[in-house]
Amino acid sequence: MNGAIAWCRAAALACVVIAITLATSLAHATSPPVPDATTPLRVWHAYRGAEQVALDALLQDFGQELNVLAIPYDAFGSKLAAAIPLGEGPDLFIDSHERLGDFIHRGLVAPMPAALIDSGAYVHSTLDAVTLPDAVGTPRAWAVPLSMKSLALYVNTDLLSDVPTHLEDFHDLKETLPDGVFPVAWEANSAYTHAALLSAYGGALLTEDGGFGMHGPAATRSLQLVLKLLDAKVLPDDADGALVTDLFRSGKAAAVISGPWLAGDLPASLRYEVHRLPAIYDAEDHTGKSPAFMRPLLTVESLMMSPRGADHPHVAALIRHLTSAEAGRRRASDARALSARIDAAPAPTDSFLRAFQDQAAVATPMPAVRAMRAVWEPASRAIRKALRRDAQPARALEQALQRFRDVRRPPPPPRDPTILLTILGASSLLGALLLFHRARQPELRARLRASLPAYRYVIHGVILVGLLVIGPILVGAATALFAGQPHQMYYVGFANFIDILTARSGPLLSSGSFYVVLLVTVAWTAANVILHLAIGVTLALVLSRPLLKLKSVYRVLLIVPWSVPSYVTALAWKGMFHRQFGAVTGIIQSVNDVFGTEIEPIAWFATFSTSFAANLTTNVWLGFPFMMVVTLGALTAVPKDVLEAAEVDGATPLQRLWHVTLPMIKPTMIPATVLGSIWTFNMFNVVFLVSGGEPDGTTDILISEAYRWAFTREARYGYAAAYAVLIFIILAAASTAGARWIDRSKERA
Amino acid sequence: MTARAIANNVLSHALLLVAVAFALYPVLWVVALAFSGDSVPTARAIPVPTAPTMDHLREVVLTTRADADGASTWLFGQQLANSLLVSIATALVGVGVAIPVAYALARFEFVGKSGGMATLLATQMFPAVASAVPLFIMLEAMGLLNTRTGLILCYASTSVPFAIFQLRGAFETIPVDLEEAAMVDGASRFEAFVRVVLPVAKPAIAVTFLFAFMTAYNEFILAATLLSDESMFTLPVVLQRFIGEYDAQWEAFAAGALVVSIPVMALFYLLQKHMVAGLGAGGVKG
Amino acid sequence: MVNVETQGLRKSFGDTQVLKGIDLRVPKGAFAVLVGPSGCGKSTLLRLLAGLEQATEGTILFGGEDVTAHAPKDRDVAMVFQSYALYPHMTVRDNLAFGLKLRKTAADIIAARVTEAAAVLGLEPLLDRFPRALSGGQRQRVAMGRAIVRRSKLFLFDEPLSNLDPALRTQVRVDIRKQHDRLGATSIYVTHDQVEAMTLADLLFVLNEGEVQQAGSPLDIYNNPANRFVAGFVGSPAMNFIDGCRISSDGASVLMDGHALPLTAPEHTAADGLADREVCLGLRPHDFELAAAETDALSFTPSILETLGPEVHAHGALNSYQGVIAMPAEVGLQRGATVHVRPTRWYVFDSETGVTLR
Repeated sequence: MNGAIAWCRAAALACVVIAITLATSLAHATSPPVPDATTPLRVWHAYRGAEQVALDALLQDFGQELNVLAIPYDAFGSKLAAAIPLGEGPDLFIDSHERLGDFIHRGLVAPMPAALIDSGAYVHSTLDAVTLPDAVGTPRAWAVPLSMKSLALYVNTDLLSDVPTHLEDFHDLKETLPDGVFPVAWEANSAYTHAALLSAYGGALLTEDGGFGMHGPAATRSLQLVLKLLDAKVLPDDADGALVTDLFRSGKAAAVISGPWLAGDLPASLRYEVHRLPAIYDAEDHTGKSPAFMRPLLTVESLMMSPRGADHPHVAALIRHLTSAEAGRRRASDARALSARIDAAPAPTDSFLRAFQDQAAVATPMPAVRAMRAVWEPASRAIRKALRRDAQPARALEQALQRFRDVRRPPPPPRDPTILLTILGASSLLGALLLFHRARQPELRARLRASLPAYRYVIHGVILVGLLVIGPILVGAATALFAGQPHQMYYVGFANFIDILTARSGPLLSSGSFYVVLLVTVAWTAANVILHLAIGVTLALVLSRPLLKLKSVYRVLLIVPWSVPSYVTALAWKGMFHRQFGAVTGIIQSVNDVFGTEIEPIAWFATFSTSFAANLTTNVWLGFPFMMVVTLGALTAVPKDVLEAAEVDGATPLQRLWHVTLPMIKPTMIPATVLGSIWTFNMFNVVFLVSGGEPDGTTDILISEAYRWAFTREARYGYAAAYAVLIFIILAAASTAGARWIDRSKERA
Repeated sequence: MTARAIANNVLSHALLLVAVAFALYPVLWVVALAFSGDSVPTARAIPVPTAPTMDHLREVVLTTRADADGASTWLFGQQLANSLLVSIATALVGVGVAIPVAYALARFEFVGKSGGMATLLATQMFPAVASAVPLFIMLEAMGLLNTRTGLILCYASTSVPFAIFQLRGAFETIPVDLEEAAMVDGASRFEAFVRVVLPVAKPAIAVTFLFAFMTAYNEFILAATLLSDESMFTLPVVLQRFIGEYDAQWEAFAAGALVVSIPVMALFYLLQKHMVAGLGAGGVKG
Repeated sequence: MVNVETQGLRKSFGDTQVLKGIDLRVPKGAFAVLVGPSGCGKSTLLRLLAGLEQATEGTILFGGEDVTAHAPKDRDVAMVFQSYALYPHMTVRDNLAFGLKLRKTAADIIAARVTEAAAVLGLEPLLDRFPRALSGGQRQRVAMGRAIVRRSKLFLFDEPLSNLDPALRTQVRVDIRKQHDRLGATSIYVTHDQVEAMTLADLLFVLNEGEVQQAGSPLDIYNNPANRFVAGFVGSPAMNFIDGCRISSDGASVLMDGHALPLTAPEHTAADGLADREVCLGLRPHDFELAAAETDALSFTPSILETLGPEVHAHGALNSYQGVIAMPAEVGLQRGATVHVRPTRWYVFDSETGVTLR
């Protein structure tokens, strides 16, 4: 059973005849070129700034026409996964080595011919990093290492003359530094950064045998140390990568832990040095040595080759060109990239790269096996939960272990699809017979004949919607019965649904279970729609007061939220809710200054209620203009004389509103509300961009949960599709029940 | 004016001003950020740019790319053109396909009408997460991956159903008498539709066009996944590139967001009157 | 100019039969009016004639030609709608010209016809306005003009006056008739207002429940209604109906409260076997005269008086029944003051079928 892809292909092929006619009439359809010597090689990367310039220069020197594409980092992985199996992807691409395990599993990379890797020329650990077993278990090199990246310590030499050698020493710097300057800053919430601390305590994110490493004494103690530093305000709260950059750039942090990418964002006027990460007095490493050094994760940026690229006659030449010692040196000098080649090591005078080289020598290469993908989400959640003090570190880590096992659970076993196919076949046969029978009825035939003129108006729409909307939905829904990776799916019956509905055999009401998420989703939808309606209708009523001045000005200003792209404003709101630097905190501080109150800044994403409120605020902001405009339109249709009649009858303004205006706009408002509810139920952008499910996935709604299963967890499309089908069933049932209810209340009226 | 009326008026204006402040505050932050020269992170309540500068705006707008032949292409201009092209084409396809369908739904009785409407509503309930991958595979089969046409078809898949709902409601508000008068005057049904119904429905069509335009103009996930050529990127994808894994150029992002928002805001401004009529008078009907 | 004929025209919407076999004959150049209460099918009939609805059964002939299956545009009819249906996106001029443009008429002819129609209807100053800037009466005239410029052989009017105030209604009514006489085309006019119907029609069709109840000249229908429905519908105030009357056993008269009203053709009554039958007696308000208190006079006690100027409509007790009578004002009826009246003319209807008996 070759799974959903085969299904899709069959469906697609069936449609192709119509589709091609359609496509050619719309625009020039292009077919993917077959690679030969004349086809330019395609190279994809996610570099920006100096790194992009350096790479572009190198590619330019290759002397052949190339097709180069820089892709937003966030889209890089999913794009490779989407394009390569379809033959639309790059021939060569540059990515971090830790994705190799996944890429191999999905067939996105081809093994690198041994002839292309001069094994003596590379730092040994980088070659280890790109060597992984193939399908039959033989270790092979899957990429050529290009450069090494790891965290190190940046020190602002104007603020600090002596560089502390131990992390605890930063504590004492607090007094000597100017007010508002943090002694040290790093992205404490990130599992990637935290891995450096963990290693000092002898731990690792992933154990040797592929188990979850972020638990036990080492992890607990490392978190306790961070908590101590946060308490003492040695380290800023809630810092993300961008904030760490800004703090260091603006002299608000004396030292930061960051990677080589930080240098590109620093102004020339800033004087700083790079050192290896400090040691920790409190820690002893796996050999028992104490104090132990922090050892960051090592990322090896590597040149990878897609299966398509392996067939291209010029690919070897380009790989040699890009991985040569000369290329390494140029990228080092132009883009400050630390080459993985020994013969391109930085000059002794280059203190910056030297420091990173020293650090890389003691860094731990990030595990490239697939299990690593399942580590990030639970580990990061546990770190955040512990640092917010929502749970004791040990408890938070225990939950993380549970979650890791949840995600890593083996997929359900294949089932025999005979029963399903029999039922499908029988029912479609029955349906065909029924249709045949009905079509012979003269009455229906007469009605069909009468329908012909109408069909002339809808036929093209039916084809297009069927092809572009209903077809993919049906195939997508069918995926819910499958498991496995996209190109090797197999039938599993209703296992996905059973898994979801039994909360993966955990407690039914635990956080993240289908029922709890559904409850949150319903609350989210209800709260949003009620607020949209309340605000929208109120504003519309005020705006339609006959004597009001500046009406059109207000109206224009009030629909601004609708006109700005929602991802822009979602990100703007997220920024405004930042605990330390957000505008909301700014407002609180202003209030404190003016009124002498002492309101604490709120950590919006730390508790469910505030995080939910932040999401809600954002979405209410996005959605109220729509309801306002709909209401304004409905209000123009309310005849004045009815209102006047009510006034003559002695109704107060409120009574007129309640008994006349609202019932009269109801026919317009109900469909708008239904559609609004459906959109809100599936409002992915806001939840994903603003709270991101924080804290601890509690503010996730069904759609963002489905998205996580499809894209950020183990790429379980079948599982995500099952979520989608359940969402559909819930919405369809709710709207059918709603329609019945409306009909009944109409009958009663 | 009585004291009560004055009080009511003051209250109305107060309420509206609070609402306007709420509506504009985040937008003003984006504007302030776009013109801020240094990004010292401090919590402030008032959105004014620090060390005002046009650098970010210039950096975003003047992005160029050196071509192989030594000439340089104004990349931003090309991407803006892409965005406009894709969005306008999406809106044209969406509205063009939807108009006759919506008209038939509003005016004709035919076998399968209620079923079709229910199916159309149902498509709005199925999350795109699950249908995106099959859609990709289909586009690939059609050879439309990494083409603007493919992207337009993807967007049309969301804009067509909505446009049908929207326009059906609009057509229903147009008196049948008008078409009948035209038909008695010597028009065929189709001529009456084209020469009477369409002109009368122009405002509603314009509003529908705007919504379809917006779905395409603001979208980046599909665009980033589908397009593999920088010269084909749409602006949201370009904006997305300012937000990297480790560092985010928020000022450049904000500057880009500002530029990207201007065309849509202008359209909103032009069409806002019609929006009230188009959406309200039974516009969005389930 | 064309004569219009329908044969066995039926129309059903789903299970509801709206027209149940209509046979219509309108000679060339006649002004025919279809009148009936709302829901009687008169508008549907007009829409069938225009081609806006398809007949379920039956034939429509224009000048002998079968047009049942023709599209509206191929029937060369002009129609004035109740709502006027002016195209809101066109100026008055374009509204007038639209039908001609659709028929690809030469521009100079269009201009001439529009100018002519505008002159006839007094629309010249309004030609460049949009419909939304016109008053109700002006819109009505534009709608008329739109029909006139077409020079169609058949004009259809669908309650064109119902949206106008009463004063204007009378005036426009006269205008419509004037235009009809000037153009000489056949006109078919639908209304529920019997005054309008009586004043306009050459030929009147009274419809009820999907059937033509009676066709004829207005006066003929007024004087010789075919059944109780027609008798009640035509004439204002409406005819008084007195149920439970009886034909005398010799068939010579009809008995009401013991009063005998002689029948005009007793020989028929007897021949038809109607003697001793229970019937309904119809008395028009205008068919009364004052009488002395004799045996064949009825007592009438007015309770409400409607003074119209030259005449008075009095509602009150006619013997033991409620009824309305119309008297010249100078008679001086008083509220509560009983007078004696004698019917001068009466109609007898079958109690069950409502058919007029002679």
